[in-house]
Amino acid sequence: MFDYTYLPEPNMVPYLVETMAKIIFIFSMNMGVFAPLLGWVERKQSALMQDRIGANRADIFGFTLFGLVHVMTDALKLLTKEDFIPRGADRTLHYLAPFIAVAPALVAFAVIPFGGQYNLWGHKANMVIADLDVGILFVFAVASISTYGSVIAGWASNNNWSLLGGIRVGAQMLSYEVAMGLTLVGIFMVYGSLRLTDIGVAQENFFHWGIFLQPLGFFLFITCALAENKRTPFDIPEAESEIVAGYFTEYSGLKFAMFWMAEFLEMVTISAVLVALFFGGWQVPFVSHAMLADLFGFLGRDWAQVATMLVHVMVFWGKVLFWIFILMLIRWSLPRFRYDQVMNLGWKIILPLALVNIFITALVMLWVK
Amino acid sequence: MAGNYKKVNRTLKMTLWERVYVFEIIRGVLLTASHFFPNLWGAARSYLSGDPSIRKIKTIYYPEEVPPIPEAYRGRPVLVRGADGKEKCVACGLCEVACPPKCISIVGAMREDGTRYPETYTLNGAVCIFCGLCEEACPEEAIVMSYDYQNLCEYDRSLMVYDKEALLIPEEKLSKRLEYIRRRMYNKCNY
Repeated sequence: MFDYTYLPEPNMVPYLVETMAKIIFIFSMNMGVFAPLLGWVERKQSALMQDRIGANRADIFGFTLFGLVHVMTDALKLLTKEDFIPRGADRTLHYLAPFIAVAPALVAFAVIPFGGQYNLWGHKANMVIADLDVGILFVFAVASISTYGSVIAGWASNNNWSLLGGIRVGAQMLSYEVAMGLTLVGIFMVYGSLRLTDIGVAQENFFHWGIFLQPLGFFLFITCALAENKRTPFDIPEAESEIVAGYFTEYSGLKFAMFWMAEFLEMVTISAVLVALFFGGWQVPFVSHAMLADLFGFLGRDWAQVATMLVHVMVFWGKVLFWIFILMLIRWSLPRFRYDQVMNLGWKIILPLALVNIFITALVMLWVK
Repeated sequence: MAGNYKKVNRTLKMTLWERVYVFEIIRGVLLTASHFFPNLWGAARSYLSGDPSIRKIKTIYYPEEVPPIPEAYRGRPVLVRGADGKEKCVACGLCEVACPPKCISIVGAMREDGTRYPETYTLNGAVCIFCGLCEEACPEEAIVMSYDYQNLCEYDRSLMVYDKEALLIPEEKLSKRLEYIRRRMYNKCNY
């Protein structure tokens, strides 16, 4: 079911302009908004959850901005810190690892739709940077590459803790990648497509959202996603109480900041994938695309499409923010799993349940037909 | 060590409901969320209204907000300047004797009308331990502990040696403390 309307038009200029605008938008959202702000969100949210007030002392001319100035002071501190490479470390790999870790988190966003398709002045605008056939598989492929960043960092540091952390990353990612892929097979079966824009369009009806069609799949996916993110319930690769800081023990300055940023960007990516697959993507509940366009009809046909687009993009980022909040809530509520518990959960519980989920989905689909 | 201890059951059998994880995790997340939202709401309301008392988190934002000081608080010791503008101190030396770290030194002198007064009264703030024994020893209510506790530190210890002029505070500014001392003294004597 390849739809040729998604292909670039013969006239390349509007297509190029549109693509550049989308790339700049996504890049600035990720690097300009989420990467710096999530550090602040994490500090303040954890503080409020634990009845504390959080960092609020740094100020510029007396303005503390609710602790937002700490983000700038952090950046300044990390920029001016010594960039340390331990003796005996593999210098090239040690230098390369943070880049391998951070790039996939940015690239994965290329296939995630942050809005629908709009007909603007005769130009078909599709609110996704690259509308790939294999959309979600691309996300998986790229996310797996970021594992190499962590493993290489662990190997290149010439430090036993780092090496242990790197090995744990490898083991954990391998286990949960399998389970995660199988979890999503149910979604592919239900929507009949791997393309994320198709899945988004199919969720226009509120009761066709992924969470209603695949409730078990949702819980399995969010568990795997947390494990992929390497944050607290599953942060055995960087378990502070056991192996100092895991694979980034020997990193300092801006390279450490890149691992930190990779973690936050991965969280944004995971939230975006969750929204695209299970929470209706850019769709407003109970309000279809045509209804929104009618609502803004007084603006004229094209401007109504622009208004619809803005609403959809804002709804998408609102949903992403909500899921980031939930992920942070889970991260600051639960203690860390033990290493064997993580492996047991991955192989003995989630993997069989994912297979059962596929089977049940198939049976229900047969029965419905 | 017999008896009074509680044995922790480390082989706890979890029910199926607990072993499913998901529901118990949702319960835990709801618990932390039930702290997050009231705290956020309280902080926002207190920021907008400027009233720190409606904040749910009871941490005091110290330099901007100060905690209430109790009446019996012992701050920097000061000399009382009477209503006539002269110090009440008669240079009897009892505070000098009572002072455990020996931070007070007095040189007494006599006025023309025969009353005694301290020619110099030096209190080394870097040595003072804020015990309040000078206040208790004083028969004239001439040295009292004030409620000052901020900005007493210096980078040079010689700046912390207070002379008579630095110590003298008018009586009306210390009325709260003097009233408290009298009440405490009469309580002791069952007056």
